[in-house]
Amino acid sequence: MTLAFSLFARRLGSMFVTALCLSVVVFIVLRMIPSDPLAMLLPPSATQADIDAVRIELGLNGTIFEQYMVWLGRALQGDLGSSIYFREPVTALLATTLPATLELVLVSLAIALLISIPGGILLYKLEGRKGEMGADFFLVVLLSIPSFLWGIILIIVFGVMFPILPFMGRVDPSFAVPSITGFMLVDALLQGDLRALVDAFSHLILPALALALSFSPIIVRVLRSSLLETATEQYVMTARLRGQSEWNVLLRHMLKNAALPTLTLIGVQFGFLFGGTLLIELIFSFPGIGNLMVQAIKNFDLPLIQGVALVFCLMVLLINFCVDSLYVVLNPRVKTS
Amino acid sequence: MTTIAMPVSRGDGWIRRLAHPKVIVGGVMALTLAAVALFAPWLAPNDPNYQDLLATLLPPMWADGGLAQYPLGTDTLGRCVLSRVIYGCRLALLVALAAAVGTMLLGTVLGVLAGYYRGRFDRLVSGVVILWMAFPPVVFSMMLMVGLGTGVRNVILAVVLVDWTRFYRVVRSEVIVVREREYVHAAWLLGFSHLRIVLREVLPAVFPLIITLFSLQMGVAIIVEAILSFVGLSVPSDVVAWGVMLADGRDQIYHAGWNLLAPVIGIIFAVLAFNLLSDGLRVVLDPRLRKRGGDA
Repeated sequence: MTLAFSLFARRLGSMFVTALCLSVVVFIVLRMIPSDPLAMLLPPSATQADIDAVRIELGLNGTIFEQYMVWLGRALQGDLGSSIYFREPVTALLATTLPATLELVLVSLAIALLISIPGGILLYKLEGRKGEMGADFFLVVLLSIPSFLWGIILIIVFGVMFPILPFMGRVDPSFAVPSITGFMLVDALLQGDLRALVDAFSHLILPALALALSFSPIIVRVLRSSLLETATEQYVMTARLRGQSEWNVLLRHMLKNAALPTLTLIGVQFGFLFGGTLLIELIFSFPGIGNLMVQAIKNFDLPLIQGVALVFCLMVLLINFCVDSLYVVLNPRVKTS
Repeated sequence: MTTIAMPVSRGDGWIRRLAHPKVIVGGVMALTLAAVALFAPWLAPNDPNYQDLLATLLPPMWADGGLAQYPLGTDTLGRCVLSRVIYGCRLALLVALAAAVGTMLLGTVLGVLAGYYRGRFDRLVSGVVILWMAFPPVVFSMMLMVGLGTGVRNVILAVVLVDWTRFYRVVRSEVIVVREREYVHAAWLLGFSHLRIVLREVLPAVFPLIITLFSLQMGVAIIVEAILSFVGLSVPSDVVAWGVMLADGRDQIYHAGWNLLAPVIGIIFAVLAFNLLSDGLRVVLDPRLRKRGGDA
């Protein structure tokens, strides 16, 4: 257990360093901007004194290094500056939008697993049979459809042609769900408002499905090849010799071992899933951080772009940390070695 | 580790080996795209930017109210959808090709240097890669577009700056394996220069992987370009882009959903072509992967 603990501690430390370096990258990229962000903020009648005052307030005076130190000092105290466009603190904007995105991502991850575990097993079962070629082609087709195209296709089919599911926003405006945790599903449940819960969930289905449909073919592939790899292991042979049924061997022994590489992949590819929320939230008018990022970019809102980009990175780092930890917990070889 | 060198068959053998269904289908699709892009002025029935304001939002010609002059209908400004899809192919392929070349060069050079020499350089670049991996690619490329400004050249640059790590990681780890092979050691003992060893002994061994990744990267670049032009961060308005068509069509989703269908199919077709090609080439060019449906 002490080994696992020191592993966690080391991972946590390197995560902090990575986050710090990332903030430098974000800072430098956004300082390459060709125009002066102040020009968009101030009226043409502003005097030089006004400009200087705003410049100091926004931490835009001095060299890039000085600017960064000012920004970092404020960021470590939980102040990411104020959005130029929304005229609100960046942290306040993030606090209201981040739960929405997390909710969306978690639901889509659940859907992706529901699709890809049976899918991976199916493809494994088809190995060497007639349908293999067709299934393989089909999988490449699915891999070629990015999530935002799935979003558009799903809206056309289930929102316009057969209008059975909503595709705008997070919940119907007629429901007033007070924000307690920020997670709409949890809040509705806490209020005991079942109709709001159902409505919020129906709003989640299409965007979550769009993300899941683009994510699951990737999982299916790895699950299939991990299953194929475990198929040659000795313990599988032993289980078969003990007379266990083929399904029992598959579900009890092989799937458990194939889960580890699959878990690693989900961690590595999580940035992909998370980045997908950007366009999905835009297309579905879903009030999460992806949509916030697009708004910020359209308005050249530097403090907001900076804050949201960092939160995106932090989320990916956090998920990677969780996946790594889970890996240590689940894998007996890492635990004891 | 296999110590027996793989016999490489030449001539007919190569052609027969390339005849994998995915390579053939993907190759034909990619050639079709190239032909459409090349002969766009002859294939397109109309000027893609001509606005027929008396014939806006026409349905396709087979639907009620469609005109034969506009086979796939018109958009809000009365522009021919079919012609725009055909011309959009040009931008998609241009970005795909240029970005794939750029990522390949940057990623391969850094990957070979890091994998061959290891040491401090390897640690430095691999550290940068760890940072890059924490960035969701879409977020990163959008941020770069804000920093660099819009335009076709900057779209290509953004894709290169975001995606070079894909080549770097694969090439580096392969070079680390290859440099320990006996024939590379033999070349060292014979006193060949590092440059010669890298170019003649190491690179040929990594080449199949590079080809596979190149094709994959073309598909990725097409998606990134479509995303960037969808949010209006890509090209000036007179350049026809599939992503811009999607953004225009989305505003009319209730009464002119067919406008969206053409660019959606265009993007999926193009990405599928390069994904199939990449997938097939991976199996064909790498003998080790022939039995496994392996994933890099």
